[in-house]
Amino acid sequence: MNRLGKKAFEKIEFGIYVLPIIIFILFAFYIPFGMNIFYSMTHWNGIQSNPAFVGLKNYQQILHGDIDFANSAIFTIKYGILYIIIINVLALLLAMLLVKKLKTKDILRAGFFIPYILSLVIVGFVWKFIFAMGFDSLSQMTGLGIFKLSWLGVPNLAFLSVLLVSVWQSVGFYSVIYIAGLQSIPQDIMEAAVVDGVGPVRKFFSMTLPMLMPSVTTCVFLALTNSVKVFDVILSLTGGGPGGTTASVTYNIYQEAFQYNNYGYGTAESMILFIVVMVVTLLQVSVFKSKEVEA
Amino acid sequence: MKEHRKSTVVLEVVMIVVTLIYLYPIFLVISNSLKSYKEVMTDVIGLPKHLLLGNYSYVWQYINYPRLFLNNVIITTVGIFGIVFFGSLAAYKLSRTKTRYSWIIYLICITPMLIPFQTIMITLLKLAKMLHLSDSVWGLGIQYWGFGVPMAIFLYHGFIKSIPKEIDECAYVDGASTFRMFFSIIFPQLKVVTTTLVVIDVMWIWNDFLLPLLMINGSKDSQTLTLAVYTFLGQYISDWQYAMTAVIMAVVPSIVFFVFMQKNIIEGVSAGAVKG
Repeated sequence: MNRLGKKAFEKIEFGIYVLPIIIFILFAFYIPFGMNIFYSMTHWNGIQSNPAFVGLKNYQQILHGDIDFANSAIFTIKYGILYIIIINVLALLLAMLLVKKLKTKDILRAGFFIPYILSLVIVGFVWKFIFAMGFDSLSQMTGLGIFKLSWLGVPNLAFLSVLLVSVWQSVGFYSVIYIAGLQSIPQDIMEAAVVDGVGPVRKFFSMTLPMLMPSVTTCVFLALTNSVKVFDVILSLTGGGPGGTTASVTYNIYQEAFQYNNYGYGTAESMILFIVVMVVTLLQVSVFKSKEVEA
Repeated sequence: MKEHRKSTVVLEVVMIVVTLIYLYPIFLVISNSLKSYKEVMTDVIGLPKHLLLGNYSYVWQYINYPRLFLNNVIITTVGIFGIVFFGSLAAYKLSRTKTRYSWIIYLICITPMLIPFQTIMITLLKLAKMLHLSDSVWGLGIQYWGFGVPMAIFLYHGFIKSIPKEIDECAYVDGASTFRMFFSIIFPQLKVVTTTLVVIDVMWIWNDFLLPLLMINGSKDSQTLTLAVYTFLGQYISDWQYAMTAVIMAVVPSIVFFVFMQKNIIEGVSAGAVKG
């Protein structure tokens, strides 16, 4: 009897401790997700209580002939690939410099980290100011051609601006992860390699990089998820312009739902984004994990 | 050896210069927030001729800064308190209960870490309206529980496994309840994880923009700092001196937080990221 009572008591206790978070997570993710599946098959303007059921029509429309969505998908893919490459190369480079025994290394690391603690929307506005006003002054002062270009007004340049600002904001964050990775590499192996006459380039590619693979996996994963979500910078820096050329998929979803009131259509776009993100993330993690070596 | 030291000095100088250039945009914002409209229009690069603090008092009153600051403090505190309290307790129970159900629940709890927020934001807004959690500072704080708990569970769950179970049992023999035992014995040992979590979540919730943008529509009183500054900048986009002042006022709390918590932030980011 006593034992039975104890078991029941443990079950109740388990319920009391675990139930709250299950409820929170249900309401934050699983219920909205379930609603997504339903509303993605409706015409819904966000207000009606009984939206008309249209089956897979929204999906068909998105995949056949929604030019805005296609353009935003192309933007997001282009942006994502370039962001992942640039941020990882720069952050690793920066980390390798900041891991050296410099007197000011702590201040320098903090300096590069500062933009990351600022809200991305605000960062977008800061750079809007720099592009609009600062570059004007800089071009008068220096006479350099790059300051005269219309960085937010020409499609290709606006694309570069979004990329540049995102990289500026987050490179310090990624380099912190790489610094932690570099510091965990046993130094004696590295010194032995130098004694054996291994050159710096070969040392980097055949020793440092393989041993850094866990950090690379993490950073590529984070860069991937962050680039898929790119939204705030676009909203404040370019507003998707010029002519919708810098609208990302998330920005497109936002506009479709909250500006054009096509809520049903927006949820269908969300579902497509969800499926693509899931497939790409799982692929990335499994491919990179297989390349990690035990140090 | 001497050669080596020389190259280090060169590298040091180069890196300092690069860092200064890197942070120059922030410097420009500070400098222009202290100028008059005319001065900003004619000379962005130059230093302000007189330090003009009028921009600050204007923006301070216009956006009702103290109110916004308080809102952010409430939202962040409510959010983090719930995430840490409920997250650590549940992670403890999940980690100590070694059954298949417990494992499945754990997986269900951490899966949302992979889901981009934007994929569920439309229906989330509808749900939040139905639950009367939108348009309110407290409601916004509570909403962060659901978004923050998955990572909390993930970090705590892994760490609690490394704490020997015997410690719990000793306390039980002394007759303590699970609840008391957890907070007096286990929780203090989770300090490293808690610090990481708090630091990451403060930066996230304090600066978060999209959720407040969706949730806070009607009342100006429930706006967050970032949201209010965003609205303000939309209206004052050609009055750059006010815009830059608002920017500074929005970022100063984050920078102060960073200066004081720098060590914890850098450690937390590397620890949290390596595990994630």
